[in-house]
This record gives sequence, C-alpha cells and structure tokens, in this order.
Amino acid sequence: MNYETFENRVLPVKNKLFRFAFRLLGSSEEAKDVVQEVMIKVWNGREQMATIENMEAWCMRITKNLSLDRLRSNQRRATDSLTEGFEIRQETLTPHERTEIHENMQRVNEMIAALPEKQRQVIHLRDVEGYSYNEICEILELDMNQVKVNLFRARTTVREKLVKINAYGL
Amino acid sequence: MDSKHIERLLEKYWNCETSLEEEQQLRDYFRGGVPDTLKETADLFRYFEWQKEQKIANAGFDKEVKVRIAKSTPKGKNISMVINYARIAAGLLVVITATYFVRMEIRKAYPPEVVDTYSDPKLALEETKKALMMISKGLNKGQKEVEKIKVFHEAETTIQGKDLKEVEKKI
Repeated sequence: MNYETFENRVLPVKNKLFRFAFRLLGSSEEAKDVVQEVMIKVWNGREQMATIENMEAWCMRITKNLSLDRLRSNQRRATDSLTEGFEIRQETLTPHERTEIHENMQRVNEMIAALPEKQRQVIHLRDVEGYSYNEICEILELDMNQVKVNLFRARTTVREKLVKINAYGL
Repeated sequence: MDSKHIERLLEKYWNCETSLEEEQQLRDYFRGGVPDTLKETADLFRYFEWQKEQKIANAGFDKEVKVRIAKSTPKGKNISMVINYARIAAGLLVVITATYFVRMEIRKAYPPEVVDTYSDPKLALEETKKALMMISKGLNKGQKEVEKIKVFHEAETTIQGKDLKEVEKKI
C-alpha cells in the first residue's frame, strides 16, 4: 500500500477512531495521541493489510486496544465532561434554549459515561457510529451474545434513567 | 410519521430488536419536534447524532501523521534492503559451494589423461635419450653380474670334460 491509498482509505476514518478513543479515555488530547499511534501502526503493518477484509473495523480494534492499554496504565475513569468543541447547530435558538439543550446533552453524556466499560463501548459503536452487530463483534473481539447482552443492559439502564428524569424532573 | 409506529419502534429499540435502518428512522424522527412524553428520549437520540459530528479538533493532524510516518519509514526500508542483499549473498554462496563440490566429484570420476610435458620436440628427444641411457646403464650392470655366472658354468663343463665334448658333438 502506498501513501496515497493510505491517505484515501485510512486517514478519513480518523474521526471515528477519535470518537471511540474519546469515549474510552475521556480526554481529547489522549484520544488524539491514540489515533496517531493507530495510524503509525496501520502504516507499519501495511504489508498485511491486503489480507484484512474490513479495514475500518480493524482500525477500530487497534484503537480499542491502545485506548484500553492507556487507560490501564493511567488508572483513571473516563468521566470527564464532553463539553469541548460543543456547538449547537440551530442558530435560531434563544440563549435560554441553548443552555437548556446544552444541559440536556450533558445529562445524557453523564448517563453514558457512567455505564460499565463494555456497555459504553457497545452502545457507542451501535448508536453513535451505526455499526452492525457483526462489525461490533469484530471490533470488540466478543461473541454475538455478549454484544447483545451488553447493548441490552446499556439501553435498559439509560431508559430507566430517562424515565426517572421524566417522572421527577431530575 | 404516526406516533404509534414510533412507539412500536421505540419498544423494539429498547429490546435491541431494531435494525440499523429502523434506528436511523428513530434518529430522523427525533430530530423534529416531539410530544412532551418523549422529550427525554429525544435528547438521547439527539445526543447520538451530535456525537457523530464530533471531529478531531487538530487541523494539522494529517500532516503530523505524515511526518511521523516519514520518520518511521526509512528505518524499515534499510532493514529490508539489508535483508534482501543478505538473501542474494546467501544464494550465491550456496551456488559456489555446490559448484566446487560437483567439480571435485567430476575430477574423481574422470582422472586426467596423460598430457605432453614438452612442447619443443628437440628437448623432448634429449630427455627421451637420457631416460633410455639410464635404462641401458641399468641393464649393463645386470649383464656384468650374469657374466660371473658364466664362469661357474665353464667350471662345471671342464669338470664334466667328456660330457662336454659329447654334448658338443651332439650339437
């Protein structure tokens, strides 16, 4: 693989990799470092790239492994706020509405950040990135059953919290 | 989209039975205005969409990667070049040793024929003469010794006197 192919096929995945690393690490600086490391790894291992069917899933898997390595060496939980780079698209909103949306997003973010690691990974890959179950299995190196169980638990927890907010306004 | 359909989809969603297309339908639906009862659920789906828009903030990211790749490339190239040369050298070594041993075997199987040692015929004649002289000298030496035996023979015949004359007569 030459650099052009790399630029066209691998580099564009960077934002997906970044979001996933960010979900795991909770720091955009560290997530960026991880994505760079992934890129270097993919480039150095480009000889074996020809044998890989789903290049994107393969990159995601490397991202997961490198992020988890980092997380383990740092011994920290990814519960930092996600407010960096926050931007609301609808420009017709009043400042009050804007703050409200900001708060709501923050609340959902905390809900997801509070999930156990596996559940957080699965719900991110499915509901944010829109991967199929098969791809999630490949990325997380889990079997179908584990993926579905983790997704079910994650969605159930989120649902319960949403119901609570709706009922008590918490 | 009618609300009953959405409710059914949502129920499926919570049970993890929705397909990717159905999940996209839900996200599309929640992008617009929703009834108060679904306000919180809408936040969840809007959150997912908002998350998908997040990008690496660093504008020079691609360049940084390119620089790091350029740094890490030559090392790998050198190593592979050295390995390639080593392969070629090893191949040559095998061929050379093989040829050497094959030649040795061939030499053993077919010993070299006698070849002329002198190119100048005069010199060759001289050498041959020398060699023949050596042989004749040896022969003459032998003959002298044999003559001594002749003495014994003569003595024997004088002792046998008569017999000798008879023998001579017969001859």
